Amino acid sequence: MTALPAPAATAVPAPAPTGRVAPLSPTLLRLELLRLLRDPVTWIFSVGLPGFLYVMLGTSTEYADVSAGHGNLAMFVMIAMAAYGAVTATVGVGGRAALERTQGWGRQLGLTPLADLTWVGTKAATGVVLASLPVLLVYGLGLALGAEGTMGAWLGSLAVVLVGASLFSLLGLAIGLGFGTDQAVAATGGVVVVLGFLGNVFYPLSGVLLDIARFSPMYGYVGLARYPLTDGWTSMGAGPAFHDSLGLLIANVSVWTVLFGLVALLLVRRARSRQ
Amino acid sequence: MTIHATRTTGATGATGATGAVRDAAVDLRGLRRTFRSAHGEEVVAVDGLDLLVRPGEVVALLGPNGAGKTTTLDVVLGLSRPSGGTARVLGLDPREAVRAGRVGAVLQTGGLLPTLTVGETLRYLAACHPGLAGRRGPEAADDALHRAGIAHLAGRRVSRCSGGEQQRVRFAAALLADPALLVLDEPTAAMDVAARRAFWDAMHAEAAAGRTIVFATHYLEEAEAFAHRTVLMARGRVVADGPTQEVRSRALGRTVSIALADPAAARTALADLRPRLARAGVAVLDTATDGPRLVLRVDDADTAARLVLDVEGAHDLEVAPGSLEDAFLLLTADATTTTARTTPTANPTATHTATEVAR
Ligand SMILES: Nc1ncnc2c1ncn2[C@@H]1O[C@H](COP(=O)(O)OP(=O)(O)O)[C@@H](O)[C@H]1O
Ligand SMILES: [Mg+2]
Repeated sequence: MTALPAPAATAVPAPAPTGRVAPLSPTLLRLELLRLLRDPVTWIFSVGLPGFLYVMLGTSTEYADVSAGHGNLAMFVMIAMAAYGAVTATVGVGGRAALERTQGWGRQLGLTPLADLTWVGTKAATGVVLASLPVLLVYGLGLALGAEGTMGAWLGSLAVVLVGASLFSLLGLAIGLGFGTDQAVAATGGVVVVLGFLGNVFYPLSGVLLDIARFSPMYGYVGLARYPLTDGWTSMGAGPAFHDSLGLLIANVSVWTVLFGLVALLLVRRARSRQ
Repeated sequence: MTIHATRTTGATGATGATGAVRDAAVDLRGLRRTFRSAHGEEVVAVDGLDLLVRPGEVVALLGPNGAGKTTTLDVVLGLSRPSGGTARVLGLDPREAVRAGRVGAVLQTGGLLPTLTVGETLRYLAACHPGLAGRRGPEAADDALHRAGIAHLAGRRVSRCSGGEQQRVRFAAALLADPALLVLDEPTAAMDVAARRAFWDAMHAEAAAGRTIVFATHYLEEAEAFAHRTVLMARGRVVADGPTQEVRSRALGRTVSIALADPAAARTALADLRPRLARAGVAVLDTATDGPRLVLRVDDADTAARLVLDVEGAHDLEVAPGSLEDAFLLLTADATTTTARTTPTANPTATHTATEVAR
């Protein structure tokens, strides 16, 4: 790049672009979270609903105390509801991020030197922080209302729930980019419910439905999150107990991560080429 | 009516293509941008546009809706890639110039985040500039709010701001990184008269600071009040380019109208006048007969008035400034009816007229 003669009277020298790109901007993260937390919809659906569902499904005196691996059934339900809440949060963040990118605000950001990496990193972090709210609420309720398990089951499941949720922001991104409408992103809540049923989150599946569900995106994630509790066994009274190997669950999560990532990448390319 | 861009003779002091290019603020050559319509046909939004803007210039891009102003500015801002031709901004690829924080812009369409306050919005956008890291971000945000005259709105949610106020939020955002080039796409579209005046006052201060400013508008008054140079666009092309007053008189002309005995006499007079006006060097932009009245839109109203008064039985002369609306109507009229006017190569006389006008 040749040195340019300074334009007539630029008051201040242009800020030199820094060489290294930050993968995250704390200011942007703070403001992104502020936006979300000012929205009552966030509190009701992303945070409140999973907590409510846990209280409804996980504290029934009939079976909450039934033992399940390294803990009790209340904890089994608690992990599932936390995972459901976390995924709802990250899918929503991903979907809205895609919309922002393709709609007016994306043009506004396009006028700044903001690097793609910083933007993606900040949005991913936003998703994880937002996801941690329902997760912490559900785990707190579990602690207070009778979920029991070993320390390994508590911490191991918590880690998997939080880390694994971020892959679903890719699903939200893909939906947002693919449909590009507010309605599509609003409908992701319904998509998560369907995936939740297929992922054995709300109700124990069996038979053919279970055989199919094993290939659905949330199955591997929730199975992995419960692994520290159950070592892969599932039994909730309906039908015989069954076992999923760690390998199968990891394969499920890996394949879906790659698939979501590829689709999102293709859609980003498509959006770019339209510019 | 085609007026060729006359860079070398513009009062803006461009010194011919080769010398001016290296330090040009904006340099577009043969810029072409096409879109696919919903039916898959190709829409040509910008069609071979040349534009050279020197540092420190204030240039108005004037044209009717659909002229291609937004498309052109999107390319300058690196938001969209040319389909053909080249675009350089401050000697760089447009996207690089934006990455270097040297370009600020107010877009015609561009959402803001409704749940943030005005101050938070500015801090957000400041954080998007690596050059405004750390404490410099909030300082730059406050400074920009002051310069845009909306410091009092800092604590207000964007969703509670009027359209004009939001536009000034975008203006403040454009000033954040102290850009060398300011690009504004119909910045006052959502403003009432008072807001418009306040906005241009703020802009005057920025222009006085030596910033290069390119703005799109469809108000002639804004071009006249603010830009030394006006580029008139229509259908993706430059139709006139020069000092605003000249573009005004040459492209819009003035209407000279006079009454004759009856409609037939008016038509005869028009046929007689054409060659005489041409000989006198008057460019005729548009002609019409309205009953017994003959209406001419010309660049040189004085000479034309003298000639029409000579016509036998002519009386009741009126001279009025040409209106932009008339010019726009003509510029956007269906191609088949105005081919001779808008396509210089289609008709030798039209080409001649065009050159006359450009002179
Ligand atoms: N994304 C797009 N897809 C299809 N056509 C477009 C697109 N953007 C602009 N156009 C067309 O290009 C032409 C120029 O538009 P634009 O640059 O917005 O004009 P202006 O800003 O002068 O009103 C119009 O005919 C418009 O319909
Ligand atoms: Mg426009």
